[in-house]
Amino acid sequence: MKKSMTALKQHLNKNSTAGVVFALPFIIGFTMFMIVPMGMSLYYSFCEFEILGAPKFIGIENYIKMFTEDETFYKSISVTFFYALVSVPLRLTFALIVALILLRNTKATGFYRAAYYLPSIIGGSVAISILWKRLFAEDGTFNHLLQAIGVNSHFSWLGNKNTAIWVLILLAVWQFGSSMLIFLSALKQIPSSLYEASRVDGSGKVNQFFRITLPLLTPTIFFNLVMQMISGFLAFTQCFIITQGRPMSSTLFYSVYMYQQSFEFYNTGYGAAMAWVMLIIISAITAILFKTKKLWVYEGGF
Amino acid sequence: MKKRVLAIFMALVLAAGLTGCSSNNASETTSSKQEETTKQAQSEGKDETTAVTTAASGEALELSITWWGSQTRADLTQEALTLYESLNPGVTFDGQFLSGADYWNKLATSAAGHTMADVIQMDKAYIQQYVDNGMLVDLQPYVDSGVIDLSNVDPSVQEFGRIGDGLYAICIGVNSPALFYNKTLLDENSIEVKDNMTMDEFLEICRQVYEKTGYKTNLQYNNGTSWMDFYLRSFGEATFADGKIGASEENIASFFNLYKIGIEEGWLVDPSVFAERTIGQPEQEPLVYGSDPSNMSWCAFYFSNNMASITNAAPEGMEIGITTWPSDDAVKSNFLKPSMFFSVSVDSEHPEDAAKLIDFWTNSVDCNKILLGERGVPVSSVVADAIAADMSATDQMVVEYINNVVTPKCSAMSPASPNGATEVYDLVYKLEEKVCYQEMTPEDAAKELMTQGNKILESKQ
Repeated sequence: MKKSMTALKQHLNKNSTAGVVFALPFIIGFTMFMIVPMGMSLYYSFCEFEILGAPKFIGIENYIKMFTEDETFYKSISVTFFYALVSVPLRLTFALIVALILLRNTKATGFYRAAYYLPSIIGGSVAISILWKRLFAEDGTFNHLLQAIGVNSHFSWLGNKNTAIWVLILLAVWQFGSSMLIFLSALKQIPSSLYEASRVDGSGKVNQFFRITLPLLTPTIFFNLVMQMISGFLAFTQCFIITQGRPMSSTLFYSVYMYQQSFEFYNTGYGAAMAWVMLIIISAITAILFKTKKLWVYEGGF
Repeated sequence: MKKRVLAIFMALVLAAGLTGCSSNNASETTSSKQEETTKQAQSEGKDETTAVTTAASGEALELSITWWGSQTRADLTQEALTLYESLNPGVTFDGQFLSGADYWNKLATSAAGHTMADVIQMDKAYIQQYVDNGMLVDLQPYVDSGVIDLSNVDPSVQEFGRIGDGLYAICIGVNSPALFYNKTLLDENSIEVKDNMTMDEFLEICRQVYEKTGYKTNLQYNNGTSWMDFYLRSFGEATFADGKIGASEENIASFFNLYKIGIEEGWLVDPSVFAERTIGQPEQEPLVYGSDPSNMSWCAFYFSNNMASITNAAPEGMEIGITTWPSDDAVKSNFLKPSMFFSVSVDSEHPEDAAKLIDFWTNSVDCNKILLGERGVPVSSVVADAIAADMSATDQMVVEYINNVVTPKCSAMSPASPNGATEVYDLVYKLEEKVCYQEMTPEDAAKELMTQGNKILESKQ
């Protein structure tokens, strides 16, 4: 008895036990809220599951239906790709430009950094989405601004299938704050000796930017690109609140369509299958980005 | 080896973290949803504990009740529940309300988790699905035992809640399709609207109004399919029959053609107007809201119980009139609809107490003096007579409309919508949209509805 007690004590006193104990909350949380739900959703994706009734196993029928019959599925994929591939580069460009401007240290810099960061905190909220909807209404602020500069615009930006998606893209670009901060910190790490040396050699500002700043920023650009790409593909609130996919599915994001299938049409099994297809798409895109990494990302030291 | 495991583990953590940050927006909504469900779960949990005390002492009891609707409805409902609480010491309520679309999403998730409220507001479009999956309690035993007294209720009214052999919902108010119109505008331009107008007469008014005033017409754009059903009924058809699309392609095409005519002649409210509005919200209805006649409508296709909210939303000086939806065969088209059902969910721990509340709602004059027909004209004839004196002029107009205009000329309501109907509604919306944006002819839209609609319904049977 005593022997086993000491054995237990010894066991508890080991470093690894402490590690396990301290990691336990995370492990339990990760299992319960990630692994188990993911497993369930994988199972449901092979089921006919109407959320109200019990799931019925039907094999890969959901996937077959998705790829062979569902036109809206392809439509939502193309909308999402367009949205992500346009908004992410625009957002990064914008973030970089603002970061370069805010790099100079003046008294007001701190204020401006905070002010420009604000949209990325509040931008994904429902309130901002509703505000955006009013901003681009036929009698909204945007048209009033156009009228003020002499353009007699009564255009319904959200009601036209060619412009509605741009309203959403603009909202995404506006949320450039977090990328901007990351760029800022990366810019500060570029040693000033490089700039000094190039100045001695007679190099101009533009030349410096393309020869020094940009190459040394590529790891940061890469990081931002991957992160923003993933969030771009998962965008939901903007579309759900502002357009609901209208007009004519021209702004129907994949995640919103998935939500509709799962909770509005009660095709929850089909929705789960869509979620897994999205996971594969995002993984593939991330993998492709990583593959291209060695072609353009500078990984040497300064 | 250990290092490698650690590395893999770290990678997993990182991956989880990445998805965590990146799904920012999505997770925000899910977490709020989770919050709601946990809140509900908690209240359910509370229920369980109170259930024990009830069994022991027969006193404290909390019932949960959910409904959809406007702020006005929420206030009135809350007030009526407080009255019930004061009459039945020990009973307390946890009332929750949501807007229409959100309501059904949330109800579905809570049904899946078996955390539905005790009393839930039901609708014809969904009841079949919930009964098929055994989510609702058969209320017939409570009617038989006298807990729910339906002796003053017209039996045909309660037929609406009967699915198969059971009575799964009690109708708590009757309404009917009603066309609200801008009476002030029409009077000023001496355009006359009469009850039971035909389709041609209606179209003529649309043209006249547009010509004289610039005001347009909203043909219930993307807001339910009751208008389509109403139109099809005039041909003796219905949107659904035997789990299929129940109308002929030809008649559906003629329905979509109304939109085409409207767009071509210019009197239909442009679909882009609706991109900026929350469709179905009385306050944002083109009848009462808009910056210019070109984005406003002289009429709105609604149900009679919305009269009060539309009148409240109308700008000062705009008098709202009420008449029937246009049809070439008024008797076939018009119907009385139970505007609201109350059902008891299988998740309820106290079905009998829930049934008592429904009885109170149906038969208590005091309760209905608070509600005053906001969910439709009370089903009990005794109650309806008793509260008539307390009603506002607007509410009395609605009662008069139901009793004197619709009741003499109407037929039975279309049967409950089959499983998969919500997806078909969405299809109809998309087709309306395509016709209005002139991307599709009415004939093609009808064909699409027949093939796609039947395919959806088939997959759900």
